[in-house]
Amino acid sequence: MSKYILPVFIIVVLIIGSIKRVGVYDSFVEGSRQSVKLVLEIFPYICAVLIAVELFSLSGLNAYFSRFLAPLFNLLGIPEELCELVVIRPLSGNGSIAILENIYKTYGADSYVARCGSVIVGASETVFYIATVYFSTTKVRKLRYAIPISLFSCYLGAVVACLLCRFI
Amino acid sequence: MNTMFFIMTVSSLILVTIVSPDSAFSIMISGASAAISLAVRLCAIYAIWLSVLDIMQKIGMNRALDKLFSPVTKRLFKGESEETRQYITLNFSANLLGMGSAATPLGIKAMECMQDGSEKATDNMILFMVINATSIQLLPATIIGLRAQYGSSSASDIILPSLIATLISTVCGVILAKAFSAGSKSKKKEEPNLPEPLKGAAFK
Repeated sequence: MSKYILPVFIIVVLIIGSIKRVGVYDSFVEGSRQSVKLVLEIFPYICAVLIAVELFSLSGLNAYFSRFLAPLFNLLGIPEELCELVVIRPLSGNGSIAILENIYKTYGADSYVARCGSVIVGASETVFYIATVYFSTTKVRKLRYAIPISLFSCYLGAVVACLLCRFI
Repeated sequence: MNTMFFIMTVSSLILVTIVSPDSAFSIMISGASAAISLAVRLCAIYAIWLSVLDIMQKIGMNRALDKLFSPVTKRLFKGESEETRQYITLNFSANLLGMGSAATPLGIKAMECMQDGSEKATDNMILFMVINATSIQLLPATIIGLRAQYGSSSASDIILPSLIATLISTVCGVILAKAFSAGSKSKKKEEPNLPEPLKGAAFK
């Protein structure tokens, strides 16, 4: 059912558009032009962040860092196996999917660890990516308390996720 | 952001140099190439969504959506214009449906509308970012698909816990953002009635 929503929505928009005499072709030209402009503007930010994230995960620092934080996570009820996932989640979407796939392979997709991991990834976002990209076209350079609040809320969500997976 | 970037890159680089100095440069290049392929993919997705958005704006669909959601958005984002609220509404709708890449260009436009020209983010901008960063997705479709692919017998049993977890994180984010903005306002007026327990919690 849900796979029909997207194409049907676009068809409806296009049909109403042509009924109301909107130049649909002109709109697509305009949209594509804006897209190129936007991507050129956000690319430097994405590039810088991804260089740092790649270094962080491939250097192995991520693993050390996770091991260092493991006792704290254990105290909060997050299984040890998920520490790396929880650390990388706010930094990189692709990175966390790769780690989640590894967890599925190692522990099986129906294990407690895998279900916890799924909920953690499904119920959070790449906080740092959003922070850089959303503000990239504005003059704002000081985000004040935005990142601490987002991270705290996401980690609260992760703790709740692990708790819920025990019961549901 | 500068401090964090510096700490992350320098400490990773030091570790790489000790463990395997040959790979240091290639890791950085692979990061930059990942950014290029991501940018190309995003450009394609944005081209479609910004085109659809352009038509939606011309046929007045944004205004209809805004009317539907304005009881919520007006209360959350006080003092923002109708145009800003429209972008916020569209961004939230795309996020709820799990179309994160369609939500991003809308979010960027909303941020542009909200900026006041200073270097500091306004309270509303922070609230908007926090709601986006805590995820408001109703159905984690990608993850469910991935689980099924790895042989899960009931791939969709994570829907309910995900929904509860994301609801809790978003509500917590909104409350904290509102508390902080109230806190910084009262500091300006020199009326120190800060919600102390909430303030401390964010930095633990």
